[in-house]
Amino acid sequence: MKVKVDKTLVAAIVLHVLVIGWMMVSFSTKAFVMPEEETIPVDVISADQLAKVTAGMKSGKKENPKPLVEKVADAKPADDAVGKITDKAPVVTDTAPPPQPKPVEKPVEKKPDPPKPVAEAKPKEETKPVEKKPDATDPIAEAIKKEEKKPPKPKVQAATPPPQPPKPKERTYDQNQIAALLDKRDPAHQAVTGDTLNSNAALGTTKGNADAIVATWKGAFVAAVRRCFSFPYNGRDADQFEVDLDIQLGPDARVASQPVIVGVRGPTKSIADALGESARRAVEQCQPYAAVLPKDQYATWKYIPMTFGLKDML
Amino acid sequence: MNEVRSLTRRRFMMATGSTLAALGAGPAFAQQPRLRLDPNEFQPMPIAIPNFAGGTPSDGDVGVGVAQVITNNLKRSGLFAPIDQAAYIDRIVNFDVAPQFNNWKSINAQALVTGRMTRQPDGHLTAEFRLWDVATGQVLTGKQYSTQPENWRRIAHIISDQIYERLTGEKGYFDSRVVFVDETGPKERRVKKLALMDQDGFNVRYLTRGSDLVLTPRFSPSTQDITYMEFGQGDPRVYLMNIDSQQREVVGNFPGMSFSPRFSPDGQRVIMSLQQGGNSNLFVMDLRSKNTTRLTDTPAIDTSPSYAPDGSQICFESDRGGKPQIYVMPAGGGQAQRISFGEGQYSTPVWSPRGDYIAFTKQGGGQFSIGIMKPDGSGERLLTSGFHNEGPTFAPNGRVLMFFRDPGGNAGPSLFTVDISGRFEQRVPTPGFASDPAWSPLLS
Repeated sequence: MKVKVDKTLVAAIVLHVLVIGWMMVSFSTKAFVMPEEETIPVDVISADQLAKVTAGMKSGKKENPKPLVEKVADAKPADDAVGKITDKAPVVTDTAPPPQPKPVEKPVEKKPDPPKPVAEAKPKEETKPVEKKPDATDPIAEAIKKEEKKPPKPKVQAATPPPQPPKPKERTYDQNQIAALLDKRDPAHQAVTGDTLNSNAALGTTKGNADAIVATWKGAFVAAVRRCFSFPYNGRDADQFEVDLDIQLGPDARVASQPVIVGVRGPTKSIADALGESARRAVEQCQPYAAVLPKDQYATWKYIPMTFGLKDML
Repeated sequence: MNEVRSLTRRRFMMATGSTLAALGAGPAFAQQPRLRLDPNEFQPMPIAIPNFAGGTPSDGDVGVGVAQVITNNLKRSGLFAPIDQAAYIDRIVNFDVAPQFNNWKSINAQALVTGRMTRQPDGHLTAEFRLWDVATGQVLTGKQYSTQPENWRRIAHIISDQIYERLTGEKGYFDSRVVFVDETGPKERRVKKLALMDQDGFNVRYLTRGSDLVLTPRFSPSTQDITYMEFGQGDPRVYLMNIDSQQREVVGNFPGMSFSPRFSPDGQRVIMSLQQGGNSNLFVMDLRSKNTTRLTDTPAIDTSPSYAPDGSQICFESDRGGKPQIYVMPAGGGQAQRISFGEGQYSTPVWSPRGDYIAFTKQGGGQFSIGIMKPDGSGERLLTSGFHNEGPTFAPNGRVLMFFRDPGGNAGPSLFTVDISGRFEQRVPTPGFASDPAWSPLLS
């Protein structure tokens, strides 16, 4: 039996199917995706860590050994000096801002975005540029000299500008010139602040801040293990000893099985082996890590490969 | 043979085990970036050493004493921080029962030492100890010793060495002795006697009566002999003495003064200086054949020779360049290389038993310092400085130095230890004034 097929009908059906199919595929991919909320980088840290971050170190260098001076009179405006200081290039460091201005308030502000562990580990370097400032700010000496010279010979002074690198010996202290010593720049001026606070800024909605968040629990985890890590070694070449440890954690943030030493390196094998045991002991001693590892990101910290070294110990 | 085979097999199994472990979770670990941890600063390891239990009620005292000796040894090494017993929650009474580790975790102990001392019916004293890893509850090491009751301090030193070695990966140095010059009497009429003590300053024994002046005693690295210099009736001479029998003999019969002796690493030879007119040169004498060989021949003062631990080289002090400096040359003599180039004068070089450093006394800027440098002269580091510090000697493991310090005035010298990082300095108790210490090798 022969069935008559209307060719135009078939062609119409085929075309419709193709067009509708194409529409389904092409329009469905991003159809109902809500624009992602930009993630605010929030770091979960324990009260302990916050205290550590904000308290500083007892054994650290004294940051500001300059004695305090009581105010004896109203400060005279020292325009020249201020001008000079402002001209100076701002101090740029990678680390947290110096602790001098309002030490109590600053850390609180920073709470949602604590410094990276690298910054935490180098409190000394952080303050060095500030400490050295008196030596480097020659304009202070210049300003004092200017003030002394000003009344008698203003023209001569203008003709012969003070030498750029005056010797430190020539510097004299005049308590009436305290204003000249003050750095009146806006604290926010320092590149430090921007770098640190915005270090985890959004990476874009497609990726979100996942990377930044992972980085913060990593820092917290390393800091937590560090509290239990002490290796008795007083020799030199400490930077040549390293141990690789693979740590497997359960959902409760406890070690699921004994951490495995997968590699030891160093000039003396017995010492490197002992370092491995110390590292393993530290990981087990400081558990559980529930306070520092976000539970909903278990997949990211189920397996933590870690290297222990002695680089900064001596 | 069987031992070798079982060792090989065990190694293979260990290797296989870790390979399997790595294979099991390897890819998961490989996907993660490796975190890195370096301690910010050195922290001594917290360790708990409760009193050892007494096997019988009368053994309690010795148990307390042993724990005390171990505590002091580990503390003085600077690498450990023994936790004060007053902080303990738990007291180990029964040595046969596993400790309650939570009680030790809560006081932050990383390692725990438990032990028992028992007097046996035959009069011997048995000592048992275990070193525990508090985090995992595993026994890291454990041993049992039997000895005469009067040797209990030595047992404590041996246990200290076991703990030190297990936790640091390096040999200990506690079971060792020090020979030194004991000084008594007023400054202008000082009586100097050779004396021997444990490295912690206990069990002092005198080896000479003090009628003649003695200087620079040195231990043999392999026997219970010492060599030293004594001012007898004639010229000062180098002597050899067995510390057990206290028999002594003159080393060689040379015209003129012989001084600053030291043993070769095999203990078979003594190297020393012989005075010839205004100069002195280095000679070595074979103790068996009594053959003497000249090593240097210079119109200068060459002295304080010290062998490298492999016996291939000698470091010594010489003023051939104008000021006393340290030189290194082959053990058989030959071309000497100057290795000290800092400001000041360098003297009394001594080679570490590990071979990695040469310690010295440095004089400059109105101070005497004790320092170390690598055998090629690099990496010089001063460990202590002051009015008068002199005469460094290495502990058997090369990690600690002993030296003497004279504060000046009417006081006399006393002995100190400092570790090679220069961080931990301790005074060593001696009965009177003391100088010229020389550390023995490990006794066991």
